[in-house]
Amino acid sequence: MSDPRITTTKRPDKAGFVIAFGLAALALVVGWDAWRLASINAHSAVGPAAFPTIIAAGLALLSIATAVEAIRQGAVERPRDEIGPMAWVLAGLIGQIVLLPFLGFSIATGWLFAATAKGFGKGPVWAHLLAGTVLCFVIYVIFAKGLQLSLPQGPLERLI
Amino acid sequence: MKHMFRGALLAAAVAVAPFGAASAQVSELKIIAPAAPGGGWDQTARSMQQVLQADKLVPNVQVMNVPGAGGTIGLAQFVNTSKGDPKALIVGGYVMVGAIITNKSPVNLSQVTPIARLTGEYEAIAVPANSPLKSMADLVAALKADPQKVSWAGGSAGGTDHITAGLIAKALGVDPTKVNYIAFSGGGESLASLLGGKVTVGISSLSEYDAQAKAGKLRILGVSSAERLPEAKDVPTFKESGVDVEIQNWRMVAAAPGITPEQKQALTETVDKMAKSKAWTDLLAQKGWADTYLSGPAFEAQLAKDIASTQTILKDIGLAQ
Amino acid sequence: MDTFAALAQGLMIALQPMNLVFAFVGVMLGTAVGVLPGIGPALTVALLLPVTFKLDPAGSLIMFAGIYYGGMYGGSTASILLNTPGESSSIVTALEGNKMARAGRGGPALATAAIGSFVAGTIATIGLALVAPTVVDIAISFGPEDYFALMVLAFTTVSAAFGSSVTRGLTSLFIGLALGLIGIDLQSGQARLSFSVPDLLDGVEVTTLAVALFAIGETLSVVAAGNRAEETIEPVKGSVFMNKEDWRRSWKPWLRGTGLGFPIGAMPAGGAEIPTFLSYALEKRLCKKPDEFGNGAIEGVAGPEAANNAAAAGVLVPLLTLGLPTSATAAIMLAGFQQYGLNPGPLLFTTNPELVWGLIASLFIANAMLLILNLPLVGMWVKLLAIPRPWLYGGILVFATLGTLGANPSLVELGMLLVFGLLGYVLRRYDYPIAPVVVGLILGPLAEQQLRRALAISVGDPVVLFQSPIALTLYALSALALFGPLIYFLLTGRRAPVGGDED
Repeated sequence: MSDPRITTTKRPDKAGFVIAFGLAALALVVGWDAWRLASINAHSAVGPAAFPTIIAAGLALLSIATAVEAIRQGAVERPRDEIGPMAWVLAGLIGQIVLLPFLGFSIATGWLFAATAKGFGKGPVWAHLLAGTVLCFVIYVIFAKGLQLSLPQGPLERLI
Repeated sequence: MKHMFRGALLAAAVAVAPFGAASAQVSELKIIAPAAPGGGWDQTARSMQQVLQADKLVPNVQVMNVPGAGGTIGLAQFVNTSKGDPKALIVGGYVMVGAIITNKSPVNLSQVTPIARLTGEYEAIAVPANSPLKSMADLVAALKADPQKVSWAGGSAGGTDHITAGLIAKALGVDPTKVNYIAFSGGGESLASLLGGKVTVGISSLSEYDAQAKAGKLRILGVSSAERLPEAKDVPTFKESGVDVEIQNWRMVAAAPGITPEQKQALTETVDKMAKSKAWTDLLAQKGWADTYLSGPAFEAQLAKDIASTQTILKDIGLAQ
Repeated sequence: MDTFAALAQGLMIALQPMNLVFAFVGVMLGTAVGVLPGIGPALTVALLLPVTFKLDPAGSLIMFAGIYYGGMYGGSTASILLNTPGESSSIVTALEGNKMARAGRGGPALATAAIGSFVAGTIATIGLALVAPTVVDIAISFGPEDYFALMVLAFTTVSAAFGSSVTRGLTSLFIGLALGLIGIDLQSGQARLSFSVPDLLDGVEVTTLAVALFAIGETLSVVAAGNRAEETIEPVKGSVFMNKEDWRRSWKPWLRGTGLGFPIGAMPAGGAEIPTFLSYALEKRLCKKPDEFGNGAIEGVAGPEAANNAAAAGVLVPLLTLGLPTSATAAIMLAGFQQYGLNPGPLLFTTNPELVWGLIASLFIANAMLLILNLPLVGMWVKLLAIPRPWLYGGILVFATLGTLGANPSLVELGMLLVFGLLGYVLRRYDYPIAPVVVGLILGPLAEQQLRRALAISVGDPVVLFQSPIALTLYALSALALFGPLIYFLLTGRRAPVGGDED
């Protein structure tokens, strides 16, 4: 997924530092968990803490390597990402999780469809919500009747 | 998940209205299978659904899968959302008893209303045909000599297989933490390691070893039942061989917490009728499940006993505090 | 010869009109569920068992065979067209397959997958019929130490095949390894990295991670790119079918994929994912144009697709010869057998030959039927890509979440899709390869468990790891994979013709 417009300058790469920091944090979490596990006495030759310890060490080393690369390579100019459209898609995914327990599969997933379409520049949201909900309701019926699998129910699903 | 509760109430009101609240007829049931579709508990729930509907004991039965963490996720959801709901059932089993303890589950089986034990399997110990261990006595001797030299292949740590191995060690006065237990994720994998002679003994439900034993590839040393089993008449029980261990990997059905004694009675009667029906016995035979039906106070006593002994042995193995 | 007479008899049974109908229903159902991530053949067969009990054994087993192979086809179709791997064994297919589809070569990608699956399925089914007992003896002789060596080989070859930057490839791999730690440790029963969230105790589902990283991560990065990435996807560029060049580049990977898939699938702990990784790595190394890898190399579709179908047939080897179910689907098929009072085990071939041969014959039928049904549909399938992007991506997200919800209606699972989707976006944005994350999640736990099993059996003696000839051979191959290019350079003074940049 590289972009041809990438250029480098002498300043260190900020994103690289952030990633290095993220890796260090992950290493700490995994390492802490390994330390916790090591204190529980295991009776086998290699206990549950051995692999986490190795992985934590590896992550720590990679964190350092990433930071070093960020300094040596310098800042990488990346094209700006558009926050608005992305927010719509994320709102679709988060909305689905929030709505699912209350409104059931069809409406929640209909919302995901509508919000994603909006993110890609296609409105209006309400029409897509309607279309998405009908589509998902059909899917629900197929699953419930054909496969005997119950997807989360809401007011719509209880009608059948 | 409040909507489910409300929905169930609504459904209950609609369903019960024509009969009046005192009617013993159960018109509708929702069975939670705390496992993914296809697993043992799911099949149990769907078998119940099939028989209850076919015999018109309950006209409308729904099965819902809530998989995860040895059934404890489904159990937690059941306890939290269906309090007092006379239309809700959950399928569970012995594995859940262990999982509640090892997973430090916030809910446990004392929070549901046990209805009946439906079916069960017994544990068996097997060795490859060319193993020097000829009988349970040989295994006992080997364990007493050096427990670490005896490697056991079975299911995941803390499961029924592991618990049985721990109980056997304990009954022999061997330190249960010294049991060299090798966990495998699937029955096929552990059986393969046994057939390939990679481990000393295998421990699993009898049905897993049956076909191999008949083909002469494995030798079954003992089973965990109280008496010899009809499908394996020449296999001695652990008790016969002087190892005082008896264990059944059972599956049960339980109702929601906080239901009235009448509601419990109605559910018990319905399940009783189902268990006595021809359709149910046929289905058990077809699936190869043993009928170990037990309901009422006898089952509750058995359940309490199993929970207590599991708690102790998991502590002894070092899996619970 | 006896075998052929029995097989012919089986074919006669499978070719009865009613059984052909069952096979047709099976392959259609299988394809439909295979497309959905999270819902696979195992689940479908499980749900259909009560329904099919009313049918006769031959009919329903034929239907199951159709579902089994149909699931594989459906999985790869979704991988190639939508970048949402329907099954964990078709994850690798998405790597090159989806790149091809985006370059207007979706037709050849689907075709090489379908024909490769057919070729591999047919060869592997013949293998199943002829050499199953021999293969199973070898497969059973694999101990934990040998499996560990196999994992080491998979790690070394696969990590050599992904990405140009060592740091970046390893970072992705280690993120995957860390994710693989989540859940209850099989050997000790201890919960790792679960933070008292019960839903995490079972670990991260492979299809959840793959779908999130591939489909959701990509949707996010495409939408974030906005007008900048406004390339319209051209569904068809050139021929919709494979041209001569495609055939020339596909047939060897098909055969090599079969060679990897069948024996590894037959191993009780082999699975269908590892052969696809190995096949991908092998094809990348052998390819004359390695720089095409990462941009849609047809070998990267042909090999892994053949490998996963051959592995699917391989899984039936221990099932039919020993009654060992080594995958979820096999376990369900076993339940299907038992429903009819048949006990698969070492005696099945002798006690119920007509059934075994009927099943093997129906595998042939299912395979042929899938090819006949799918090839003409290729043109229609690729039209999916002509759907305007708002609806295409909306549909992909609906699809991705539907599969997850169907198998496990849990909000935590959806939350994981979201979090890993964001992870996929970040990895893409900062040029980290995606595939090693999934590889780490799959291989990490396998390697760890096998190593610990081996050491537990030997009571802590590490010598056991280097005693078996199988393990030593596999280590030698790993060394060759790691140092092969260097040795080549030392011997010839030229750089080995391997390893292009992925991106």
